[in-house]
Amino acid sequence: MQAEASAVAASPATPSKAAAAAFVVLSQLGGAAFLYFLLKADGGWQVVGLLAVLGLGFTLLEKFPQVAEFARASLASLPLLTIAVAAVVVVAFPFAVGSNTYMLHLLIVAQLYAVLALALNFQLGSANIPNFATGASYGIGAYVSALLAINFGLSFWLTLPLAALAATLFGFVIGIPSMRTRDTYLALVTIAFGVVVQQLLNNFDFTGGPNGLVGIPAPSLFGHSFADPLVIFGHKLPSQANFYYLSAALVVVAIVTAHRLHGSRIGLAWNALRADEIAARAQGINVAWFKVLAFAVDAFLAAFAGTIYAFYVSYISPDNFTFLVSVTIMTMVIVGGMDNIFGVIVGAFLLTILPEKLRAFSDYRLLFFGVVIIGFLMIRPQGLFPQRMRSYGGRS
Amino acid sequence: MSALLTVEGVTMRFGGLVAVNNVGFSLAKGAVLSVIGPNGAGKSTLFNVITGVYKPTAGTVTFAGAEITGKPAYDVVERGIARTFQSSRLFGDLSVLDNVIIGMHTRTRTGVLDALFRPAASKREMAACVAKAEALLKAGSGDLYDQRYRPAGALAQADRRRLEIARALASEPKLLLLDEPSVGMDETETDALVADIRRLRVENPELAVILIEHDMRVVEAFPDNVMCIDYGSKIAEGSFATVRSDPRVQEAYLGKAAADA
Amino acid sequence: MCARMHGWYSCRLQSEMWRMAELLIQQGLNWITLGCIYALLAIGFSLIFGVLNVIHFSHGDVAMTAPFICLALATAFGATSPTWLVLALVIAILAVGLIGVVLDRVVIRQFRDAPAMMALVSTVALGIVIRESIRHLYPEGSNPHAFPRLVSGVAFEIAGVPVNWFALLVTVLTVVLIGLLFVFLRMTPLGLRIRAASEDRVVARMMGIRDGRVFRATFFIASAIGAIAGLLFASYAGVTRFDFGIMAGLLGFSAAVIGGLGSMPGAILGGLIIAGIEVLAQTFVPDGASYRLVFVFVLVIVVLVFRPAGLLGRPLMEKV
Repeated sequence: MQAEASAVAASPATPSKAAAAAFVVLSQLGGAAFLYFLLKADGGWQVVGLLAVLGLGFTLLEKFPQVAEFARASLASLPLLTIAVAAVVVVAFPFAVGSNTYMLHLLIVAQLYAVLALALNFQLGSANIPNFATGASYGIGAYVSALLAINFGLSFWLTLPLAALAATLFGFVIGIPSMRTRDTYLALVTIAFGVVVQQLLNNFDFTGGPNGLVGIPAPSLFGHSFADPLVIFGHKLPSQANFYYLSAALVVVAIVTAHRLHGSRIGLAWNALRADEIAARAQGINVAWFKVLAFAVDAFLAAFAGTIYAFYVSYISPDNFTFLVSVTIMTMVIVGGMDNIFGVIVGAFLLTILPEKLRAFSDYRLLFFGVVIIGFLMIRPQGLFPQRMRSYGGRS
Repeated sequence: MSALLTVEGVTMRFGGLVAVNNVGFSLAKGAVLSVIGPNGAGKSTLFNVITGVYKPTAGTVTFAGAEITGKPAYDVVERGIARTFQSSRLFGDLSVLDNVIIGMHTRTRTGVLDALFRPAASKREMAACVAKAEALLKAGSGDLYDQRYRPAGALAQADRRRLEIARALASEPKLLLLDEPSVGMDETETDALVADIRRLRVENPELAVILIEHDMRVVEAFPDNVMCIDYGSKIAEGSFATVRSDPRVQEAYLGKAAADA
Repeated sequence: MCARMHGWYSCRLQSEMWRMAELLIQQGLNWITLGCIYALLAIGFSLIFGVLNVIHFSHGDVAMTAPFICLALATAFGATSPTWLVLALVIAILAVGLIGVVLDRVVIRQFRDAPAMMALVSTVALGIVIRESIRHLYPEGSNPHAFPRLVSGVAFEIAGVPVNWFALLVTVLTVVLIGLLFVFLRMTPLGLRIRAASEDRVVARMMGIRDGRVFRATFFIASAIGAIAGLLFASYAGVTRFDFGIMAGLLGFSAAVIGGLGSMPGAILGGLIIAGIEVLAQTFVPDGASYRLVFVFVLVIVVLVFRPAGLLGRPLMEKV
């Protein structure tokens, strides 16, 4: 036993600084290149080819755990370099994309979905609470901010926190039944909430009924309107770039939130009640409160995504926030890997971009999602990137 | 000095079934009480009542001067009662270390806002927890410390029982309830368990312990205070020697015919 | 004549009251019809949950495949005579029963011992697969398809309000089916085993009641009863569409949960309550038709918060 543990600790855990640095830079550039080609791909065969590359990569990682271990150790040993390279890649990406607004659009949507998936991950991943109301929280964020902007002329930057506040209150309200109900019953409560919200949006006059809200004004920052092209160092980027950077910033916020909560006693408490509710209670965890908290955090982040979405497309309707949106977000979490931040983001990107790319296929998107969920739950319930043990710096 | 724990007239009924019938006892700081009795006698139910898993049909539980009858389980832990479960209930997909750290939940304070906006404080708290958990894992018998990054679900039976005790101790309890801690242990491991409990009492003379045990080797090691429960009722109480020689206890364990013989 | 005898105002009042009574009876009939359909759906949810402890979320979608199968068969037979129609109905019901058995075998049973969340999410996904398959595989699957009233015409009148054959058929059929199910579950060896399995899973397993027959029978019966509900629903609405299953499923599931999962009387009560709320909202609340789902699901939430085990369900106490 001891030998096994020390072997794991000794062999690949300490890559040389140079090797680690090279890996950090190359792997992230490689990832960016993959994303670029995936976005650029035209026609099924190119996508299939890229997917084959991805599949091959996964098979290699599964076959040679040392490689995965090396990757982890490298990234963990040089956190600053990792973050710096990631920042450069994210900032530079629109320049590589150039004037291709469709690619930028896909990236924005993928990033918003990544935020939603990270939000849902607090419940589905960390605490194993099936929440089918994330789409509703997303919608509340979008509608609250849009209504404030249209009716009261509030600026985007003010509506952002207000919408988040409103959705968080909603999260608490959905969370309250979770004190009394569990599993199946709780799932039904979240579905019921989702249907109620969607039906109300569909029927109220002030939300524009089924037609939704039109003419949501573009945000502006220091006099620069987000509807205008973005000029950086004389380089002109299409107006979508504004929202690309905005949603990228939100992804960063979501990652930081997820990371900090996961690493604190709150993340541990969620994991504990996922594993065994009664044992969690016996450790002094107020299970009901922590469930409500998971709902509130989920709604908070989802509302941010909703607000940005509303101002980006400038037109929202109840159809954007159905039960199926919740299921889509759920698919991303399950495919990416429950309780694995990186995995969830990968899941969101893959499941946003793939159905768009496989044009012939796009009619079958929902069918594809359904099959993918069932397949993953049966064959690989831990997702592409399984949850990892917390290391506390003691082991790479 | 008043007792640490006082249980008075506790009755627990499930529908028509009386699992615990009018049981009362009290326990002083630093004392060890062994609860014995046949399977299904209501010993674990008594634990569940004390720890707030069940609300008793009648009776009161008083701990450290305050009534805790029917208080929620998480509140009871906060007040200083920690427990293990008969069928060990570890967080199987979390590491051994995480299991112990979760045991410190009531002794840590970070909330959502702290975790988000004061990450340094949250990190410090976790680092302190890790250090404390590692110390707890090193202190007990077995090699849990070396296995601290393994998932708890992968542990051998004896290690699981040890980890449950370490997790219970992590909450810095005044009263420790151990539900059949020696199940699945061989003789050497059982002896180590007894040594562990003795060591705990030396390190913290105020710590009170209630043991549910079938293994008389363990009961014999803490002979001052023994209580026997049968069909939910207390049938004998006193030193190990007294209880062992009580005819009703023999009857409960061996059947009427054997006791008469 | 009325006006001359009592004066205009009194006459109007009388006719108002008369119209009110008529409306009440009419809506009462609607309520019973819809309530029976929901009850039949809820019974399936309850039966499956009882035996497998799994929520078969796509049960509504399975049920709503029946009208499509029936329409496809009717087209294939190319005949419109009642005999052919009945044959199509019977085959559709049996086919849906088999679909249920296959889905259990291939998907649902894999999650029997997994966390509840997994079974739930996978059956939600299964529902999507079923709906989308209808949409893509059935000719013009995205469009609504007309579905005939199985029986038409007026059977008799209550206080001058016509009671049509269809309402009568639904009620009688539901009562007969529930009666048959009751007899089956209490009198036949297989039924008794199903009941044993749902009363206490652990004991039933120890007694060796573990074989696939119990599961197969449960799914066949639940799905076939669901198919009947689906056919009645399409016939009631006069139309069917690929995505009717989602609402049928949600309403049937809600009925089962409100009544108490695992309880047959609960399923029936839940069905009647859900239908009652819908009909009440439509009749008495201005613009209630558009808000009916809001009323239904708010009720679901309220019941679950105050009686988490449903109205007739037994509260669960977890063994520690």
